[in-house]
Amino acid sequence: MGRPCAVIGTGQTDYRKRLDLTLDGLVRWAALEALEDAGLTFGDVDAVVIGKAPDALEGVVMPELSLADALGAVGKPIHRVHTAGSVGAAAAITGATMVESGRYDRVLVVCYEKQSEGNATWALSGGKSGGQGAGGTFAPWIRSYIQRSGAPEHIGWKVAVKDRQNALRNPHAHLHIEDISIEKVKESPMLWDPLHFLESCPSSDGAAAVVLASEEVARASPGAPAWVIAHAKRTEFASFPGRDAVRVQAGVDCASVLYKKAGITDPRRQIDCAELYVPFSWYEPMWLEGHLIAREGEGWRMTEAGDTELTGSFPVNPSGGVLSSNPIGASGLIRCLEAANQVRGRAGDYQVDGARIALGHAYGGAAQYFAMWIVSADLQPKLADHS
Amino acid sequence: MLPDVETLLEYPYTRTTGPVLGPFFTALRDGRLLGIRIDGRVYCPPVEYDPETGTSLEPDLVEMGSDGTVKSWTWVTQPTSQHPFDHPFAFALVLLDGAYRPIVHALEVASPDELSTGMRVSVQFHEDRRGAITDFHFVPAGTGTARQVVTGGEPVTVIEQLISLRYREPLQPHRRRFAQGLLDGRFIGQRSPISGKVSIPGRGYDLLERVEVGEEGDLVLADRGSVTAFTVITPIQYYGQKETEPYIRASILLDGGDTPLTGVDVRGLPIDEFRIGLRLQAVWWPAGQRDLGEIDNRSVSLDGIIERWNPTGEPDADPDSFEEFAL
Repeated sequence: MGRPCAVIGTGQTDYRKRLDLTLDGLVRWAALEALEDAGLTFGDVDAVVIGKAPDALEGVVMPELSLADALGAVGKPIHRVHTAGSVGAAAAITGATMVESGRYDRVLVVCYEKQSEGNATWALSGGKSGGQGAGGTFAPWIRSYIQRSGAPEHIGWKVAVKDRQNALRNPHAHLHIEDISIEKVKESPMLWDPLHFLESCPSSDGAAAVVLASEEVARASPGAPAWVIAHAKRTEFASFPGRDAVRVQAGVDCASVLYKKAGITDPRRQIDCAELYVPFSWYEPMWLEGHLIAREGEGWRMTEAGDTELTGSFPVNPSGGVLSSNPIGASGLIRCLEAANQVRGRAGDYQVDGARIALGHAYGGAAQYFAMWIVSADLQPKLADHS
Repeated sequence: MLPDVETLLEYPYTRTTGPVLGPFFTALRDGRLLGIRIDGRVYCPPVEYDPETGTSLEPDLVEMGSDGTVKSWTWVTQPTSQHPFDHPFAFALVLLDGAYRPIVHALEVASPDELSTGMRVSVQFHEDRRGAITDFHFVPAGTGTARQVVTGGEPVTVIEQLISLRYREPLQPHRRRFAQGLLDGRFIGQRSPISGKVSIPGRGYDLLERVEVGEEGDLVLADRGSVTAFTVITPIQYYGQKETEPYIRASILLDGGDTPLTGVDVRGLPIDEFRIGLRLQAVWWPAGQRDLGEIDNRSVSLDGIIERWNPTGEPDADPDSFEEFAL
């Protein structure tokens, strides 16, 4: 265990299609906002971590080099992280590890995607016709989850509505669908059966940034810090005999070790809210189970009961989540950032009352890369008794 | 012997040009070359942020002259289709008069004998311009034609950039045997010597046990199996996409295998009747008409190998029986 690390600044762009900013301008916007929040300038930063999804999404190879100017990073250590869709959370963990190591006091983590410059389905299909895209990869596993758990089909619609309603409270969200409803979701075109168009994430542009700092720097920072009390990453192969792609072992392992590091024995009661990577509606109940928040086969019951709503007992994606904004490479960092903002009391109109411990999560590839962190308002969090 | 696989990866990306490069490309389209002044230094092409300090800049754009000096160069003997000329030419670092650092660009001369560091060159604008860095090239000073400035067009806010990569790769040995098997009308999988589990296609190694699996591990699987998972895809339109109508992609666990073939195109079967557990029989294209198409070391498409999959009429497989298999 290294020394403590905290989030002391956060920044994010709006996630609509950005034809007003270059790629450089986009990342810079988020970075400057995070630094301002932390009371720092580029000159104060010791190292920069950049994360994004595959280079083929924008066709800019090794963007960490060309973005150095825009991030004031010339002459400083720059690290590029790439773990597919989980990259944003993996980048946050990389930054936290750099601070915990004692080598760096202030690390700027910036993640982005500018989907308007390319086409994700083309890129994820290796440039070939007939690609199944992310939805086509996940849809069969979602079908299997539904079959296995016996969940009713409206669970997916319910998640889609809930996250879009939350997004109406988030000015940065890409999708603001004022008249979102169960009817509207189920009437929307079927894209990857059983996933409807409105059960799928949008293609967004955007960047997010966090400033991570040592305890000494954090205590001197102008705002409330969010202490990173635990983080974990796990991976597994996309396909092997005996693989369970619905309840993924790497996801179960990642959550177990995360909770153990944080001293959490009952995540559902001891964590106040979660930002889970849910690009397709059904992944809410699937990760509630797959990350040990709900018992196997019962994740959908939490959704059904309204527990995951903003005012529920375990709010999931108060910000509107990936279903409302998906700048792919940034989406994982946004989950970590929103979790931090919740415990800093900085989540605006989607603040969860009294949130002191929050979970940020991302997954990527063929549901095979996982990165998660737990942040707290307290360096030594008081965990609820779960007896 | 199967030939190497050739792949073309190509996409017309669109770039938002922003507040500095936008005017730069607009000016190129008009037949003018702009730089940006930062702390008394002029950068061409202009940069959005101060490369020394990272501070934001109020764009102080200045018009460059036509002439400059070669600081270094290299000779391109075999131009590709992406190059600006179909004959040999130079790429040169040219320090434009008044600029702080050189610009890299094409320099057209007949032979490398005409090149030298320190030689004077001039900007030669093309007649047909679209607002791109390729709207001009360099020529030896005094040999170009005068630029025609045409103003009044719309600002260039987005540019298209076609990025194209063609590469060849040999199929890996196990992959070659798998592909040859398809041409011969057989599904060849590989059995792990440790776990006994059968993967198709094989990988040449057991990725869980981390041991090599050679040709001795190859075995032929049945060409019939059960649907373990599927989705109906409504195709999203993108560059190079040929699909327009909804189609089924299924995972099929061949009898005798422990991993399914994934993403199998089973078009032709009624979507309404498709289900997990359905038993299917492969119908091969006749020998001689089979085409490996886009099979490479990473992806498998059976479109040119299997004409269709027919329901066998057997009772459905019990989904519980393959829950332990990858979907």
